[in-house]
Amino acid sequence: MKRKEALKVIMTTINPCDAVISTTGLISREIFEEFDSERNIYAPGSMGLASSIGLGLAISFSDKNVVVIDGDASLLMNLGTIVTIGNRRPANLLHIVIDNGAYGSCSEERSMSSSAHLDKLAQNVGYRYVRMVSGQDELRRAILSFGQGPGFILAKVKLGGRRDFRRPLNLADIKSRFMLFLHQT
Amino acid sequence: MNTKTAFNAIDGERSERADRIHRLFLELGVNFATGVPCGVLKHIIANFNNDAEILHVPANRESEAIGIAAGAYLAGKTPIVYMQNSGLFAASNDIASLLIPYEMPIFFVVSYRGCEGEDAIQHLATGRATEALLQSFGLPFVIFGEHDLTILVKSMFRDMCKSKLPTVLLLRRGWQR
Repeated sequence: MKRKEALKVIMTTINPCDAVISTTGLISREIFEEFDSERNIYAPGSMGLASSIGLGLAISFSDKNVVVIDGDASLLMNLGTIVTIGNRRPANLLHIVIDNGAYGSCSEERSMSSSAHLDKLAQNVGYRYVRMVSGQDELRRAILSFGQGPGFILAKVKLGGRRDFRRPLNLADIKSRFMLFLHQT
Repeated sequence: MNTKTAFNAIDGERSERADRIHRLFLELGVNFATGVPCGVLKHIIANFNNDAEILHVPANRESEAIGIAAGAYLAGKTPIVYMQNSGLFAASNDIASLLIPYEMPIFFVVSYRGCEGEDAIQHLATGRATEALLQSFGLPFVIFGEHDLTILVKSMFRDMCKSKLPTVLLLRRGWQR
């Protein structure tokens, strides 16, 4: 599965009412270009914090499902937050990690995800629902069978893909429309 | 005063100022707190812990606290972030690249180590650089001294809503007495 395919499966399978927080770099840029919506928040800076933002949101707004779209290196650089998520156990949080084994948005330098067993880590720190997938159908099924969170889906993807996406720039407007979306749906 | 709130008493020592700041927070609509502990802030943190009106989510590291507070803010909460000034350095990029461009007015309560009378060498360099860091980011801050706490905190909140910038209250050791 390619990153592009994984993101398409995620963005077309989750409920249209779900809030989406995506991580720094190509993941946010691809989602911004292909699936921009008022339900999205991007973390173009603050590397690694998509999961923390998702936690703060999920725990504060329990009526809505929050989907975090993270990367493997992004998760590894802020590993403490999965412990906090496992400790607070927000039932409405689904944490999806796009794992290409590298800093894909830089120059594809290798990350340490191959030896980290991220799915087992998530299980051990207290996530209620953990799946590892490597194909599009598997990913779709893993999203559809998510019930009570916190959920963790480790989606293995191939390295590479398009890089010339636009950047989300007007973050203050993205924030305002997101907050409106949250309180209107 | 919120009678449901159980105010702090650590080792028999209470801080009237910490209780006052807590009541002010409640009055200003604060309903969420996150951060990393510092001894200088122990009464403030104890009050967050003991108050059911505040959703308190301690973090493992200051960056994480900033992310959690940003999420809470997006959900409509009014969060406080607490940390030591050393944490401002650890998390400076997260303030600069998340809170500032997203225009999130989030109130920081930060203990100020490394100023006059400091006995721990590891705080000296960050102590010297704290105000310069905040100035260079263009962030409003006040070092609590002889102020009237009520007037100070209320005016900082009012200015923060206008500026839409994270705003920092610096508390030196002994501030609570």
